[in-house]
Amino acid sequence: MRQLLRAVIFGILGYLVGAVLTWLVRGGSLGDEVCVVFGYVVGLVGWLFGIGMGDTWVREWFGLPARESEVTGWKRYLGFSTNHKVIGIQYLATFIVVLLLGGVAAMIIRLELAQAGEGILNADRYNQIMSMHGILMVAVAVAAILGSFGNYLVPIMIGADDMAFPRLNAVTFWLIPPVAIGLLAAPALGSFDAGWTAYPPLSVVNNGGQILFVLAVTTFGLSSILGGLNVITTIVTMRAPGMTWGRLPIFVWAAFAASMISLLTTQFFAASLVLIAMDRVAGTVFFDGAAGGDPLLYQHLFWFYSHPAVYVMVLPGFGVVLETITHMSRKPLFAYKAVVVSLLTIAGLSVIVWAHHMFTSGMAEYLHGPFMFATEMISVPTGVIFLSAVATLWRGRLWMKTPLFFAMIWIFQFLMGGVTGIFLADVVTDVSLHDSYFVVAHFHYTIMGGMIFAFLTGIFFWFPKITGRMINDRLGIIFAVWLTIGFQLTFLPQFWLGTNGMNRRIADYPEQLEGANLFSSISAYFLGGSFLLLVYILLSAARRGPRAGDNPWNASTLEWQVSSPPPEHNFSGQPTVLGHPYGYGTAGSRHAEFAGVTTGGPTPPEPTGAGEGGDNE
Amino acid sequence: MDQNRRNDWIWFGSLWTAFSAVGFYLVLGIDLLPAQWAHEAEVVDDAYILLMGLSIPIFAGVAAALLTSLLRFRVQVDGTPTEDGPPVHTNRNFVRLWVASTLMLALMITVNPGFIGIAELRGEPSADIVVEVQSQRWSWKVNYENGAETFNQLYLPADRRVRFDITSLDLVHSFWIPAFRVKIDAVPGRVTHLYVTPEGVGSFEDDFNLRVQCAEICGLGHAQMAMPVTVLAPADFDAWVSDLAEGA
Repeated sequence: MRQLLRAVIFGILGYLVGAVLTWLVRGGSLGDEVCVVFGYVVGLVGWLFGIGMGDTWVREWFGLPARESEVTGWKRYLGFSTNHKVIGIQYLATFIVVLLLGGVAAMIIRLELAQAGEGILNADRYNQIMSMHGILMVAVAVAAILGSFGNYLVPIMIGADDMAFPRLNAVTFWLIPPVAIGLLAAPALGSFDAGWTAYPPLSVVNNGGQILFVLAVTTFGLSSILGGLNVITTIVTMRAPGMTWGRLPIFVWAAFAASMISLLTTQFFAASLVLIAMDRVAGTVFFDGAAGGDPLLYQHLFWFYSHPAVYVMVLPGFGVVLETITHMSRKPLFAYKAVVVSLLTIAGLSVIVWAHHMFTSGMAEYLHGPFMFATEMISVPTGVIFLSAVATLWRGRLWMKTPLFFAMIWIFQFLMGGVTGIFLADVVTDVSLHDSYFVVAHFHYTIMGGMIFAFLTGIFFWFPKITGRMINDRLGIIFAVWLTIGFQLTFLPQFWLGTNGMNRRIADYPEQLEGANLFSSISAYFLGGSFLLLVYILLSAARRGPRAGDNPWNASTLEWQVSSPPPEHNFSGQPTVLGHPYGYGTAGSRHAEFAGVTTGGPTPPEPTGAGEGGDNE
Repeated sequence: MDQNRRNDWIWFGSLWTAFSAVGFYLVLGIDLLPAQWAHEAEVVDDAYILLMGLSIPIFAGVAAALLTSLLRFRVQVDGTPTEDGPPVHTNRNFVRLWVASTLMLALMITVNPGFIGIAELRGEPSADIVVEVQSQRWSWKVNYENGAETFNQLYLPADRRVRFDITSLDLVHSFWIPAFRVKIDAVPGRVTHLYVTPEGVGSFEDDFNLRVQCAEICGLGHAQMAMPVTVLAPADFDAWVSDLAEGA
């Protein structure tokens, strides 16, 4: 608490120092965007210094011993903790809140769109709320799984006691609050209204809130790069003895592939945003067509990150879902090696498909064919993921608890998103569908269906591990069914709206489209209501759910072999990995043993068939 | 293969057939697409329907496998599960077959409707008339070859190939005519082109999708940045455009 208070004070002081110095040097007004930029940068440094970097790194730079925080109990979650499990929970709680905030914005959007004409919002306010919904949800999609489960589970799953860079990990999380403050403070400068894509010239000439968007999202990108670096280093260097690359749980592989993308591509987004900031405050003309700049330059840079970002969102989702399916259908993951190759192939292909977002942008036409071809190729490795998920279920022993229920719904949702994506990858149909509601429906199926549903799968699967308590399974399944039905009723009509002449990002539309819009809006409220049930399920389970025990799913991977929640340093004895993580059905198969501990493995169940040893794929 | 395993596949096959049949009925039986007012609309809609037709069996197959699994492989568990499934780690030939078929399918749609569709949609870069469109927040100005000019009104001749030369004075806008199924962005600093051959005579009053709609967010008036399109018979168009030029 003390750290947090200090961070807020130093942040505000830093902002004032930066802004006032800039004002003294150049005159003008304190509210000018240049002053905001320098204020923000110095404020960010002050914030990080105050929250804990001053106590640790900075003291060591000057030869003083670091002051580690000794706070215990719930207050740890409000301070600079270097424990990966604390940070995982900080991410989890933060992004559930951001998800709900973005959901409120969605409800306002659908209320406005329930009827043609101007309703509760004018067009300006609509564009601002829509942009806020977009960027909040993109932030959730990028960081919710990787930040929470990536931090909490990757070290335990590979048998490590923490991440490779614990302090960097804390900084990665504490970069998030300035992002939230920046975005939520934007209305003070007139908000931003250019969508989450922030295409110039609009994003150069609109209200001053856009500069806060640029600063906040660049900060978020920094957090994403540092997080990716940490996950990769952890997986490369911190694996327990015997944890070979071929024995990594599939979620770890998915986190690895996604982190590669965030580490290597996020800076392109940051660069494009910095160029926008310079066009706004420094008088450059990178994106000014009349002065020799080019608006398309931004779109290339932006999508060079933002298409791969889609895979930063869904690859960890693949990992969560495959992990859940293999444990809860009690079968080895089908075609483990092929899945690993596919995850890495998707990460590789993701950086050569970006211009499929630009088929109608006016870029050179000879580029259309190659980008269409590369995009269609992504369906091959993605198809292997589907094969693995379905073939693992096939003839398994399906334990239809909420997590598996969600995982199976995920397959359906993401398939819908994938199949409709082909219509947008194909140049001919995209020329008609681009920037229409077809796109809106499509990316809600991929991102909400592919990422949020996987996030929920993970929440229900690992809730017992993280809190030590079970959720109410009956309510969980009611929630899954409610959410899924609401989702279809909301977004299926939007495909029709898109093919029938409704473009995206509009507060008003031709009255001929009113029926389907009203239907979609009513369904959206039905969908939104289900999240109240989710909040109830999670809060009531956290407070009075029955005790979970160490291994309620009788699962094989390392996180289930320790207590719930795991001890401070994860393992009481050094784990040694002996075999494949998913040895289901093979008599005597064990994933790991612990030095000095005789028990701890899953109860070896009765094998139902003779099988080869666990390590052959 | 024992009876039980054969029954799994029978369930899967029946569900797949049933789902595919329902899917095809919905796609082919219900008219999901709006009226076509241009040759290009036919090309786009044909591609759309071909992709739908290919998607349905894939979608139905996965849905059938999911439902079969849910119905036939679920187990009742008291406490923690005690029985494992068969230790099948992979089936190399099946994976190879799967990858080969998805690759074939991806290549197939890249060729048609991909490359073939692009060639059909673009056609030759030749046009019967050229229409210049200038966009600016939040309106459209249209110039015809003989000097005639309209503001927020677009008139076109039926059955003639039109080339649009599109520019923007301020922001990125997008020139979209839903009834023609085509769009191209209007980008400051460059001229973008769009070819279209309108078919049939009609106006915005007949079909609200006969309109130019801005499809790229451009601030306050973005939703209202639309102009009605009127397609005239060629002779009527010639008369209209020369009257307008003389009056100007």
